[in-house]
Order: sequence, then C-alpha cells, then structure tokens
Amino acid sequence: MAVNPQQEEFRERAVVADTGAPGMSTAGAPVRQTSLWRDAWLRYRANKAAVIAAIFFIALVAYVIIVPFVSPYDPYAVDFSQAYAPVSLKHPLGCDQYGRDLFTRVALGGRVSIGIGFAATIAIMGIGIVYGSISGFIGGRLDNGMMRFLDALYGLPYLPFAIIVTQLFRTVNIWVMIIALTIASWFTAARVVRGQIISLKENDYVRAARAVGARWYRILGRHLLPNTLGVLIVFVFLELPGVILGEAFLSFIGLGINPPKASWGSLAQDGRDVYLAHPSMILIPSIAIAWLILSAFFIADGLRDALDPRTRET
Amino acid sequence: MALLEVRDLRTYFKVREGDVRAVDGVSFEVEAGKTLSIVGESGCGKSVTALSIMGLIPKPPARIVSGSIRFDGEELTGLKESELENLRGRELAMIFQDPMTSLNPTLTIGTQITETLSRHLGMSRGEANKRAVELLEEVRIPRAKARLKDYPHRYSGGMRQRVMIAIALSCNPKLLIADEPTTALDVTVQAGILDLLEELRTEHQMAMILITHDMGVVAEAADDVVVMYAGQVVEQAGVLELFDNPEHPYTEALLGALPNLEGEGGREARLASIPGRPPDLLDPPPACRFAPRCPHANLGDYCTVEPPELRELRPGHWVRSAHPASERAAVAV
Repeated sequence: MAVNPQQEEFRERAVVADTGAPGMSTAGAPVRQTSLWRDAWLRYRANKAAVIAAIFFIALVAYVIIVPFVSPYDPYAVDFSQAYAPVSLKHPLGCDQYGRDLFTRVALGGRVSIGIGFAATIAIMGIGIVYGSISGFIGGRLDNGMMRFLDALYGLPYLPFAIIVTQLFRTVNIWVMIIALTIASWFTAARVVRGQIISLKENDYVRAARAVGARWYRILGRHLLPNTLGVLIVFVFLELPGVILGEAFLSFIGLGINPPKASWGSLAQDGRDVYLAHPSMILIPSIAIAWLILSAFFIADGLRDALDPRTRET
Repeated sequence: MALLEVRDLRTYFKVREGDVRAVDGVSFEVEAGKTLSIVGESGCGKSVTALSIMGLIPKPPARIVSGSIRFDGEELTGLKESELENLRGRELAMIFQDPMTSLNPTLTIGTQITETLSRHLGMSRGEANKRAVELLEEVRIPRAKARLKDYPHRYSGGMRQRVMIAIALSCNPKLLIADEPTTALDVTVQAGILDLLEELRTEHQMAMILITHDMGVVAEAADDVVVMYAGQVVEQAGVLELFDNPEHPYTEALLGALPNLEGEGGREARLASIPGRPPDLLDPPPACRFAPRCPHANLGDYCTVEPPELRELRPGHWVRSAHPASERAAVAV
C-alpha cells in the first residue's frame, strides 16, 4: 500500500494528553491523542475483511517484486524438456509450453500488470485532480462546458477507445498501454474531484480564508485539495482493479503486451489454446488477476469506512 | 471623514423568479475606533451588507447593483478581486457566526494563524510563529505555544472563536466586522467573547461593525446602532438614545420582545413577539415595508401607499417611518 507521508506526520504528532504532568494521567497510563488519521487506522484495523485483503494484497505485491530476483530460472529461456511440466517442488506452478517456469513468469507478468495499473491510476488521478478542480473551483459556464465535454467522452465505450489509442502508436509497449488506459478512463476521477471541490468550497473555513485575503491557489491547494485526500485514496483502490482488468483484457485478445513479454493477460492468452489439457496455465494468471482485484476492492471498502465514518452502516 | 461610508448600497440575488433585494438602499457610516451595531431579525440583510463590504458575496447569484462603499477614502465596489484580496485580512477583517466550521479541520491552528501573517506582512516562518503565540496569548488561550500545534478538533467552540479573533486581529485591521460572533456559543461563553472583543478593539484602536439580533449584545458593546428591516435601514441612533427613545414601531417591538425578569408580570409574563412574518424580498410591500405588521399603520394611510423616507428626527437620530413614537405622542396630546 502506498505510504502516505502525511499519515506518518499525523501519527508522530500524537502526543501525551495535556492533563497533568507529561506521561502521567489520572488513570496511570499515558493517554494518547487520537488524530483523524489515527482514528481512521483504528477503524480500518477493526474491519477484518479489509485487514485480510490488505495482507493478501501486500503478499501478492511482495511476490511479484521479489520472485524474479531470486528465481533460479530465466523467464525467457526455452527448455522443451520441461514443457508443460506439472506442479512440483522445482516448479511450484509448473511450466508453460516452452518449459519456462510459471512461478517466475507470473511474477514477472504481475510486475507489468500491477506496474501498468498503478502508473495509469496515478496518471488518471493527476489528470482528474487538475481537470476536476479547475471545473469545480471556477464553476459557472466553464464548469458546464467541461462537464458536457466529459459527458461526450463518457459515451465512448471504454475498451474500444483504449484499443484505438493503442493503435495510434505504431508499437504497443508498457508506456503505450499506460497512456491508452489513462486516456480511456480518467473521466470518473475528474467527476469525483469536481464533486468534492464543489461541496468543499461552500465550507465556512473557505469563506473565512477568503476573508483574510487568501488567494485562489492557496484556497485550492491548502483548504480544498487536502480535504479531498480521503476520498482520493479510496478512489485509487477502486480505480486500480478496473485498469488492471482493462490491461489484462487487451493483452488477452492480443492487443496489449505481446509474448514473449509476460503480463497476466498474455499469460492467460498462452493458456487459452491448451485449457483442456493443461487448465492450470489459464487458471493461474486468472487467479492472480482475481486475487488482486478482490483484495483491492476490499481495501477500498475498508478505507471508505475508515476515512469517512458517516457512510458506515452500523 | 468617517472610516467607512456606505451609501445607498443595493445588493440583489438573482433567482429564477427575479431579484431578491437582500440589501436595498442601505447607508451608514462607521467612525474610526467606534462600534456600530447592526440589528435586525434573520434575513433582514445584515450579513449580506457585511459580505458586500468585504467583497465576499457569492457572485453569481448576488451582485451589488448600485451604491458606494468607501473605506478609508477608497472606493471598494469597483476594486478588482486581487486588490480586494490585499485589503482583506490586512485592513478589513471579519469573524463569522459559527466557529465550529470556520477553521479548516486538516490544518493546525498555528498554520491557520501564520497563513495570514505571511500572506500580508511577509513574515518568515519563525517570526510568524512567534507572533502567532503572542496572538493566542492575547486572546487568552492558555499554554499558547503548545496549543499552536493542535488541530481544531481539540479546541472548544469558545476557544475556536478566540482563534478566529486572533486571526482577524493578526494584521491590525482598521475595521473588524463581527457577524453574530456569539450566536453559536453558550451563553456563559458569550460574555467572555464580547468582553475580549471590546478590550482588543480598544487596544488595537479598531472600528467594529457588530452584527447581531441580540439587543443585549447591542446594549453592551455598541456606540451607534443601525436597525435593519427587510433590507433597509429603519432607524439609526446612538445606543443610549435608541434604547431610551426608540422611534420606529419595529424598534419598539424589538425592544418590547426582550425577556424581562423584573417589573410587572416579571417571570410569569409571556414573551412578547411581533405578529406576522418579514416580507418576501422578491416582491416587497410597495410603501413602508413594515406596514403589514405595524400596529400604527391603517389601511389607506399614506405609509401604505408611499414609501417613507429616512428622516432625522433629532440630531443623529434617523427614522424611516410615518409614525415615529414622538409624533404619535404629539398627536395623542
């Protein structure tokens, strides 16, 4: 999970409460101040599904990062003596049709898939924040125009739109995939940010800031955007699965990452031809995708309840 | 020349049905170092007047249709937004009704105070922090230095209002507009905040516009009083004169609505109220706006046909009514 520096700062600020001498409260134990972020962390921790999902998520990310470094197998080296090797201690997930170790290749594919997922999500958030805050902050006719433009883009179907963008570039590589997926799916982020900005800018403290002469960039940067942080963190984990699924789909139908490069989509594509004889070849990357998407959704759910307790059902 | 001169100010809100005349021809002056109180019931245009002076009315839908606001010799109505921003917080400051929502929950109290200092006075971080501690001490926040690092949720309502006052005073403004500064607070806290405001006002030699609907607050803090009704000034006088000799039937009714613990009836008496409701400002009564609720206006009276002008009954005592108390008395005799 992305480390949030502000969160760290907040936690460090949790100081001994100011009743009595430092470190000595009436009950004997030092009372810790609860900050907003600490509260959120406590609420998140109380949500079992979210905690388990976070562990699964971190385990998967750790797997895809570490395994290619420590694996004894070259993920691209063909060894026909091991073709379709079954699951064994030497090959925990077996081998593919060229005798390449799947345990290593799935990790490698995971790097590509998760990497594209995060990069595209960050790009989506970046564009969404800029577009949405301009639209929401300035408002009026500009807002209206910008939102109608978004409505028009919304009409385009997601995957065909992404495919068209990839075809504008001659080759398809990781960067092209990131750009295509970003362009095809930044609209919702822009709308979410706009909605947040519009509701936040009616706050009294925004008026109070204006009353002491704060200029627009200060109001936007200091008073509005930091207050959208909770919603944006949740949104990252809601957006990530969609992007990863999009990438996997494009690679699966052969319009994304192509063999011998691995992504979860292209690994599933490899397994499609032999799914009757060797079902594990399509199942394993599919399970990896499902694993990531489900854990991301549960994390998002937990974060939403933790960061905005008002929406929680009791 | 007065510090602030508001002349015939008209601020309208555009809605689908037409223009809501929230402020409709308001004029008053605030002398340097004095407190002017604006009283009136909810929706009479007190706050919109204040926001118009600050240039903080929401545009659209609101707009200043006409009139002039001269502050320290400078006309504010035509100023560009950037020029107004330089004035706000530095020369003109404002505190709002609800201290619970007027501080940003994600920033420390210190950040929110130093923000203004570095914005207007160009102070460095260290200087601003030092000054912020002084300001917090000035508004009587105990252990100011430590509390600077706290987030607003650790402050009570009264303390937050003190912080708002500290922020407003940070650049030594010439005029402070306090929009119902004690309305959202406990009664016990109210008196403390009012005393503090009065003390700091004298110390900093500020002028103050105190907006309130509480006659008790007016009596305590004001030098001059403007009574507003339905977007207009209906009476203006010095505070003693107004309480001793209220002229406008509305002012009389407002004073009559104060709870009275002594005197005849005392605690058992029912609270007096003014019958009827304030007029719809989309389509206000054509003549005197108080006429539909006025006990002295009769159908066919000239005041239901022609709008009464603001006139000076006695030096410094202005009334907009066809039936001021002193003239009624004269007729009766």
